[in-house]
Amino acid sequence: MSFLAPLFLLAALAAGLPIWLHRLQTQSADRRPFSSTMLLETTEQRVHVKRKLKYLILLTFRVAVLLLLALVFAKPIWTRALPGTLSEASATHLVLIDTSASMQRKDAFDRAIDAARAVVESIPNGALLQVVSADDRIHVASELSADKAAHRAAVAAIEASALRLDFGRAMAAVDRLAGDLPAPVKLHFVSDFQDSGMPVRFADLAGTNTGELIPHRIDTDARFNWQVEYAESTISDVDVGVLGVGESARVGRVLLRLNDDLVGQEEVAGTGRSVLRFSDLPLAPGDNRLTVTIAADDDLAIDNAWYGVIENTPPAPIPLITASGGGLAATYLEAALRADPGANYRVEPMLIGDADFRTLARYRWALIDDLGSIGSELETTLAAFVENGGNLLTFAGHGSGTIGQLPVSRHRVQPAAVGASDNEFLRVGQIDTGHPILAEIEGWQQVNVTQNLVIDVQDGDEVLIRLEDGTPFLLERRLGQGRLLLLTSGLDNQWNDLPLRPVFVSFIVEAARYLSGVERSSKSYTTGNALPLSLIGGVSGQVVDPDGTTILSLADTTREQQVRLEQAGFYEVYTPQGDYLVAVNMDPRESRADTITAETLDRWVASMAGQAPRGSAAALQNAPATVELWHALLFILVLLVIGESMLGNLYLRPRAEP
Amino acid sequence: MSVMQASQATARELLRPEVLARIKNLDLVARSVVEGFLIGLHRSPTFGFSQEFAEYRAYAEGDDPRFIDWNVFARTERTYIKRFLGDTNSHLMILTDASASMGFGGPPVSKLRYAQFLAASLAYLATRQHDAVGCMIFDEQVRDYRAPSTRAGRLQSVLHCIDSAEARTGTKFDKPFAKFRERITRRGLVAVISDFYCDTENLLAGVRPLAWQGQDVVLFQLLDDQELAPDVGSNVLLEDLETGDAVEVTPTFMQEAYPERMRAHIDSLANAAAGIGADHVLVKTSDSLDQALRNYLLFRQRRK
Repeated sequence: MSFLAPLFLLAALAAGLPIWLHRLQTQSADRRPFSSTMLLETTEQRVHVKRKLKYLILLTFRVAVLLLLALVFAKPIWTRALPGTLSEASATHLVLIDTSASMQRKDAFDRAIDAARAVVESIPNGALLQVVSADDRIHVASELSADKAAHRAAVAAIEASALRLDFGRAMAAVDRLAGDLPAPVKLHFVSDFQDSGMPVRFADLAGTNTGELIPHRIDTDARFNWQVEYAESTISDVDVGVLGVGESARVGRVLLRLNDDLVGQEEVAGTGRSVLRFSDLPLAPGDNRLTVTIAADDDLAIDNAWYGVIENTPPAPIPLITASGGGLAATYLEAALRADPGANYRVEPMLIGDADFRTLARYRWALIDDLGSIGSELETTLAAFVENGGNLLTFAGHGSGTIGQLPVSRHRVQPAAVGASDNEFLRVGQIDTGHPILAEIEGWQQVNVTQNLVIDVQDGDEVLIRLEDGTPFLLERRLGQGRLLLLTSGLDNQWNDLPLRPVFVSFIVEAARYLSGVERSSKSYTTGNALPLSLIGGVSGQVVDPDGTTILSLADTTREQQVRLEQAGFYEVYTPQGDYLVAVNMDPRESRADTITAETLDRWVASMAGQAPRGSAAALQNAPATVELWHALLFILVLLVIGESMLGNLYLRPRAEP
Repeated sequence: MSVMQASQATARELLRPEVLARIKNLDLVARSVVEGFLIGLHRSPTFGFSQEFAEYRAYAEGDDPRFIDWNVFARTERTYIKRFLGDTNSHLMILTDASASMGFGGPPVSKLRYAQFLAASLAYLATRQHDAVGCMIFDEQVRDYRAPSTRAGRLQSVLHCIDSAEARTGTKFDKPFAKFRERITRRGLVAVISDFYCDTENLLAGVRPLAWQGQDVVLFQLLDDQELAPDVGSNVLLEDLETGDAVEVTPTFMQEAYPERMRAHIDSLANAAAGIGADHVLVKTSDSLDQALRNYLLFRQRRK
């Protein structure tokens, strides 16, 4: 018999409490020698003996209750050794081989294959066997059969991957697989049992269909390992983080390649984290392949490389329609768009009256710093621009307060024209956080508005932000195929202090992303991630993996919306929206050399043993390998509690009587 | 204070058990008790202690020349032997109970120690009266026995026998007393010192044959104050020294029912003793020994 939670057995010490109290109780009557009890009341003696017997029975009940309580929480299990239950010949054997990236540490994977082969050989002839491998998924290497030759071949064909193994997810998948196999199932797990693979909840390791877990630990004997943790590119530099774990006095050479050309190298030594900076990189236009490697002999080679993509595309121009070329609006907008490295835009002022607005059709969207200042001719052009799918981000400056109706949007300006006063300011009252622009922005409450345009909200208007007095501060209006965003205050830091607030940068960047229609996209992934592909015009695109192999078939290019990234390196993505590169790196948790302790592994084995296999008729014929005893103990515990209550009541009754 | 009064005060002091308890030598205890007792006795208007004159008879060959009355010889030139009343009692047997219950009591003295004082004093007193003295120590059986004798050194032997008694085991009267009857042949005084924690019938079964045999029996029932009026303030578990049985008693019981039972037991014992012509003397371990000795002398006087 064993226990799933043996620490609860410590609670059995509480059984000493009633024993101690009982000792006090029995010692409460003073004991004295006396010459003879001949003349004493003989009934007193009988009462004492009877009471003592009651005490002992009550004590027995109470001690038993406490002991059983501790036992129930300790979850005792009894492994039945019935013939044929979990014998080698009658059980179904499932050989699970860990192929995660950490198994590439030195010769660990070769030894794992040897161990799996030994397991296959040790299984009696005629016993059913299946071989599976696990990284972030379960891969069936061989079908269930008693053909050892097929299983040996399957084991030999298994290869290590660059993916991560989570034991919780793996055990859940294996348990589902075991549910389809004849019970009972013995799971032979060949792994390095890396500590980082443990799930958050230990209970996730337990399965209901797997009768027994037999771990085969592959000792990695970690000594020293280099790992490139990251490579971050700034405007002109690249910072590379390197981690050395293990013995000191190791030297490695960090090589940085750009588009396969060696552009820099540094030497790194010792243990711990080091940050290396590479400057003046000769970037080519477009996406650049950044590869950082460490030339060193260490335990795990797969984490000695890091892949990244550096974009070197010219910023997209954004027309700013303004009445004054040197105004503050252009300065604020330019600064905000440059502050975000992900926003690659450039502001191009277009002076009202000077610029040729026929070129406006080349842009997806435009900025207007004072909507009321544009003339009627430009209004017609802008209205046509929006009707045809263009977008406008407009502000209401001084020119807007003097007219009765705003151009393009056709919003009527109330007679009061400009709300608030010079001495007072308003703050933001309501925000529609469900809008894409405002969903991830915080800090609107710090904006002080001294004056804003009071306009009538019309049908079709979506008020995104209202001030404290309920007047609209930001609204959106659809016009034809385009849309217009209107901020009812200026951009020159006179009617409000929005341009000086941190929220302004986020607002402009998100508005630019929203109005330009360019989705946020990442070019850095971890192995095992899914790369989303948007279907445009019935075509998702094509992806070429680091080996140069096209992943999607021709049919899949019109069907698949995401691609699983299984290798570390560069994936080339060709979509109707354009071509780009994606860098994929190994999950850094696979680099950690720590393995789970023997005690944890024992608990894992015990938890698996504590799950009674269920399922098919075969499983019912073959009795479960282990029996949980806590159900029966709980029943006995209830009986004991009832008995103790009744006995205690009987015992206390004479005391209550006078 | 006169010299005589001071001497009496010292003698009475010596009769108190707590004083005697400090004296380890039983011979000295007996001597102190008896001498002190006799000093007090001489002042008593009731008692006169001396060997009382009974008759003269002509000296015959073989008589002890020490008993020739030389005054009569001087006047009549005839040798007469002076005979005393005390000469008619031949011996005293002291039967002392040494069961475990006798170990109860004190301080200053347990019942057994008090019994040893009493037995030694009786033996010493009897020796002074030229009685033959013997003793028997018993519990469930005879543990030690000294046949009555007037030989020189007998007193020491008897005192040693008494002094070496230790309290242990239970009490039975039938078997030891049957053994005693087998050994005793002459009539005499039999003093039984015990707490008599037994059934009255059982006691009578042992003592009655002695009375039938012609022995003059006196029962000294020796009890401690804690047995007569126990001081119990709360529930207490009383453990029998002989059987080991424990009985939990309440203060109410020990203050009300138990003294009545004890009194009834004592009365029953006294009645039973009277029924067979024996004397019953209740002695408390807190009493001075002169009362017991006085009772003995009264008893002896009645038996003349």
